Amino acid sequence: MKISVTINGALYEREAPENVTLLRFLREYVGLTGTKEGCGGGECGACTVLLDGRAVNACLILAAEVDGASLRTIEGEAQDGEPSDLQKAFARRHAVQCGYCTPGMVMSARALIERNPKPSVDEIKEGLEGNFCRCTGYVQIIEAVLEATGQPATIQEGSHV
Amino acid sequence: MFETANPETLRQIGRSPARHDAEDKITGAAVYVSDMAFPGMLHAQVKKSPHARAKIQRIDVSRAARLPGVRAILIGADLDYRLGLYVVDKDILAKSEVRHFGEAVAAVAADTLILARQAVDLIEVEYEVLPPILNHMDALAPGAPLVHPDLGKYDYVQAVFSPQPGTNIANLTRCRKGDVEKGFAEATWIVEREYTNPSVQHVPMETHVVIAQWKTGDRVEIWTSAQSPFTVRDLFCHAFKLPPSNVHVSIPNVGGGFGGKAGIHLEPLVACLSRKAGGRPVKLQATREEEFSLLPCRSALTYRIKTGVLADGRIIAQKMEMFWDAGAYADYAVNVTRASGYSAGGPYEIPNAWVDAYTVYTNKPYGTAYRGFGHVEFFWGLERHMELVAQTIGMDPLEFRRKNLLRPGSLTLTGEKITEHTGDVRKCLDAVAASIRYGELTPEEKAREARAGLKIGKGVATLHKAPAMPSNTATSVVVKMNSDGSVLVNVGLTEIGQGSTTALAQIAAERLRFPLNKVRVTIEKDTDRDPYDWQTVASKGLILTGNALLLACQDLLAKAYELAGQALRAQACDLDHDGEKIFVRHNPDHSVKFSQVALGYMFPDGNGIGGPLIGVGRYIAQGLTNLNKETGQGLPALDWTYGAHGIVVEVNPTTGEHHILKIASAYDVGKAVNPELIRGQCIGGMVQGLGTALCEGYIYDEQGRLLNPSFTDNKIPTTKDLPDEIECIIVERAQVDGPYGARGVGEHPMISVAPALGNAIRAATGAELTHMPIRSEDVWRAMNRKEPVETWITKTPVGSCKTLPVGK
Amino acid sequence: MLHQFNYLAPRTRAELHGVLAAEGPAASLLAGGTDLLVNIRAGLIKPRLVVDAKQVDGFSGISWSEREGLVIRAAATINQVLRDARTAIDFPLLVACARDLASHQVRNRATVIGNVVNASPCSDMAPALLCLKARAAISSKRGEREVPFSAFFKGVKETVVAPDEVVERIVVPAASKGARGGYHKLKRINGHDLGVVGVALCVDREGEMRVAVGSCAPTPILVEGLDAAAPADAVVAAVMRAISPISDVRATKEYRAHMVEQFVRRLVDEVRS
Repeated sequence: MKISVTINGALYEREAPENVTLLRFLREYVGLTGTKEGCGGGECGACTVLLDGRAVNACLILAAEVDGASLRTIEGEAQDGEPSDLQKAFARRHAVQCGYCTPGMVMSARALIERNPKPSVDEIKEGLEGNFCRCTGYVQIIEAVLEATGQPATIQEGSHV
Repeated sequence: MFETANPETLRQIGRSPARHDAEDKITGAAVYVSDMAFPGMLHAQVKKSPHARAKIQRIDVSRAARLPGVRAILIGADLDYRLGLYVVDKDILAKSEVRHFGEAVAAVAADTLILARQAVDLIEVEYEVLPPILNHMDALAPGAPLVHPDLGKYDYVQAVFSPQPGTNIANLTRCRKGDVEKGFAEATWIVEREYTNPSVQHVPMETHVVIAQWKTGDRVEIWTSAQSPFTVRDLFCHAFKLPPSNVHVSIPNVGGGFGGKAGIHLEPLVACLSRKAGGRPVKLQATREEEFSLLPCRSALTYRIKTGVLADGRIIAQKMEMFWDAGAYADYAVNVTRASGYSAGGPYEIPNAWVDAYTVYTNKPYGTAYRGFGHVEFFWGLERHMELVAQTIGMDPLEFRRKNLLRPGSLTLTGEKITEHTGDVRKCLDAVAASIRYGELTPEEKAREARAGLKIGKGVATLHKAPAMPSNTATSVVVKMNSDGSVLVNVGLTEIGQGSTTALAQIAAERLRFPLNKVRVTIEKDTDRDPYDWQTVASKGLILTGNALLLACQDLLAKAYELAGQALRAQACDLDHDGEKIFVRHNPDHSVKFSQVALGYMFPDGNGIGGPLIGVGRYIAQGLTNLNKETGQGLPALDWTYGAHGIVVEVNPTTGEHHILKIASAYDVGKAVNPELIRGQCIGGMVQGLGTALCEGYIYDEQGRLLNPSFTDNKIPTTKDLPDEIECIIVERAQVDGPYGARGVGEHPMISVAPALGNAIRAATGAELTHMPIRSEDVWRAMNRKEPVETWITKTPVGSCKTLPVGK
Repeated sequence: MLHQFNYLAPRTRAELHGVLAAEGPAASLLAGGTDLLVNIRAGLIKPRLVVDAKQVDGFSGISWSEREGLVIRAAATINQVLRDARTAIDFPLLVACARDLASHQVRNRATVIGNVVNASPCSDMAPALLCLKARAAISSKRGEREVPFSAFFKGVKETVVAPDEVVERIVVPAASKGARGGYHKLKRINGHDLGVVGVALCVDREGEMRVAVGSCAPTPILVEGLDAAAPADAVVAAVMRAISPISDVRATKEYRAHMVEQFVRRLVDEVRS
């Protein structure tokens, strides 16, 4: 079937089989590979995108379901070649290691701060609960979100002895 | 080698600039093999065994072969190659026999993924199911069925390993120091107990994925999500008897490795599919479920420790027996056994020691390298045991540890002498104990206990590890100057998320006196372009590659000075440089810019001299030896990184529910090159260690089928599983032969998290946990002295939510 | 990667009923997709046709009326329930159960009706709906019927809904408005997990206490007709009589039983304080 969907503000029209997930549609039919597959079963959040403004797992949605809808993916987070404040905070705060969870994590964080502009540490943990990261242990990610929302950003002490 | 730079004048080392690979990762531009596709590329799928042990009576691929769009099918009989890092015991596809649940028995390459899946479903396999040997202790019993009856015929690395043909023992590593029986005879107390932990999976967020193309002339292109490009190339060439220059391995970004991608895995199979398909590129990506069973995991362990202690609390003798459950193939497990064997006693002085460490075959998914290389597994038992010994002799566990720690002059299990510069384990232990206010409950903690009806306990644990690597591990670095005087650095060490790219850039910038933005370390790896590095494992990257890099920078500068000297008509010894130019020290205005010599120097009249500036450095581990196979004596350790954890835990005495209020972790890193990168390793490793401690563990049924091959029942920590307070403490007792004094810390943060938690829970409730993971039910059982849950091989039925919906 | 199927998004009830009547078991209803797509991917369900219920006229939203009560329609997601002001004030038990269901991303798609039609014994919403005496409004070409949730579940992943039927609405009766109570769920981690056991308890305005337990029987279990003032021991005894936990990879039956008792006691304490 023909799928017409707005992605990061631009209209895309593609033919795709009716049994293709949104995740595969984005990666293989539209060619936006920033959104990743980590489990295929809605557990890990690596495929998080914003559908009509809400964070969802693309692996559990059929491309057919987004005909006429509006999506935001990681590729739309930077504007005019400039990473967003949220992305810059991720970089500055070392919230990235292998980077595979990062697109989904950034999109989840984006959805969080759009519905809650000054989230507390607990609210950040709640909002990012559905995004696994095996590398960072999450603290620097939480600190990046705090910094991006103009809040004191060091939640854990380090020291030299 | 140690640059004797004044810490006051260091400009790059000790800072935390943002990672050089962050930008592509945060924008989604970073390319992983999972993102890659080529024209004409085929997709592969694998048929896997549903049985843990079975003879393959018949495989019929005819229906699959007739499916339009299927371009290649392979079964075990088609492939006469053997693989094995240390013991060559594995076929690419199972031939006459399957040895574990999930083992690959056939593979298909087709035009699309769905076609490949359909073709796999059309392959018919007839099995004669045999009773599997699942528990490694059962596998050791005389008369147990043999997983590898032909063990005696396999090639293996004779200098290092000792397989025992006619048994299920793939390796036996021994260490003998002093006389344990004499030591036990002198002991006032003897304390003995057994500790166990199950297999777990690395869970990299990007599963294993390979694209391979076998071209004419036996030239092979491989793109793989892997940690060690040269290992992939060399093992591939060894298996297929090809010269190294025939095989080209490329690694773009890697979505996590943790040891699971250290060796060679899917590459041979995918390359063979490509060859069968006439040289078209073929891609295979493991599903998450395949990651848990087709790909390897971390060996399970049973660790028996018997300790003899003198009246004053000093350990006089210790007998350590490790039984590693390697699963169906030896892979890295035999080396995990060896590396743990020589490290088995921890950072303690043990005058008389006996270690027998066995690698045992069973019919289960096999164990490979995993962060810590055995140390996460055995420190569970060791540090729970130190606690038990202290309790038994009536000494405070912290005091007992302090009393027995290695100190300068101590000898390790292998006879290595600890020096002033080995590292300061005492400082690490004291720092975490102080941080958690060990030994007392604060008024706030007491009030919290009273308010909530919960019990608070505190525990500590130490850790140590040396890189587990060959005695002649080597690496090389090339530094190339660009026309503008900036440099591009090629290393074989792979960026798998640990941040080596950035730390190495800082080292180069420091040594060259360049601003950081004039140094770029390449991220993608390429065996045709990058200079050799052994593997990205073992927490040795910073030391070995860092040293090679320093030498390469030195070489570059020497060549630059030689050229500048000619340009300036000055001797090299009179020259100095800064980030932009080389100048005569006693006449600084007389200078030449790096950009003027980068590609050779041109005199005003047009004469050219020199040529492009390239610095080369290489470094090999020095003075290391193999271990004597009978006594385990020798010098295997490039360096030791010590550390400790202190945990404050809150436990519900009625339910066993528990929560970590605070964890303090300290590591002697020698010199912190990039403190935020270290913090990332510190917290990331600790949380991965919490996963092992709290919720991870493979569960099999009695037929050897894996019951939890997905995130539904194989949980890993989320943002909501963090301790309330986390402190990372850096200790810096310089490593004399480390770059700027640095030593590695990549694996260490994961080690000993579990026993620190077990010790804290014991302090809170008296519950004695000897098995991992530590779920609330495990604590409840231990508190109430009930039988522990039989989690590895369960007699209970499959999970209640797995039944097919009725009527559909 | 999914098995081959076609997709249809009917716009009217009549169209939906027609398709379901024609296709029967070969069609699967799609709402949130968070169970259906997982099952299709695992090969547990192989529909020929996936019928999207979300675009049917009248199948969206949550509404309230004094006459009927709280009405949750087929496409209403878990997060919509969590955002609904009326539900937060008048039906806090629904919020308590919804809050701990999976992750934020899943809650943006998973529907309340989908959760109960999937009928896992671990369902998070079923205990609340049982306690609140909710009813399922089921329709098909053959007509309409209402089934209280106490009669809705027949076995593991088995309900009274026939292959040609759709659950259009859940009705939580006005009489349950203001019922106090809570939900405790045993998980293996603090992060998102299914319920190893789940216990919901409520006391309604009439003073009746009801307890519902998940993951301790082939279906969620309701114990009703308890007195709000009954001693905790009596409540525990009544609940323990009604459940039959098993041992599996998640927990042993002894621990499940133990935790159900602990949760009942906690919930009784909480509702009385």
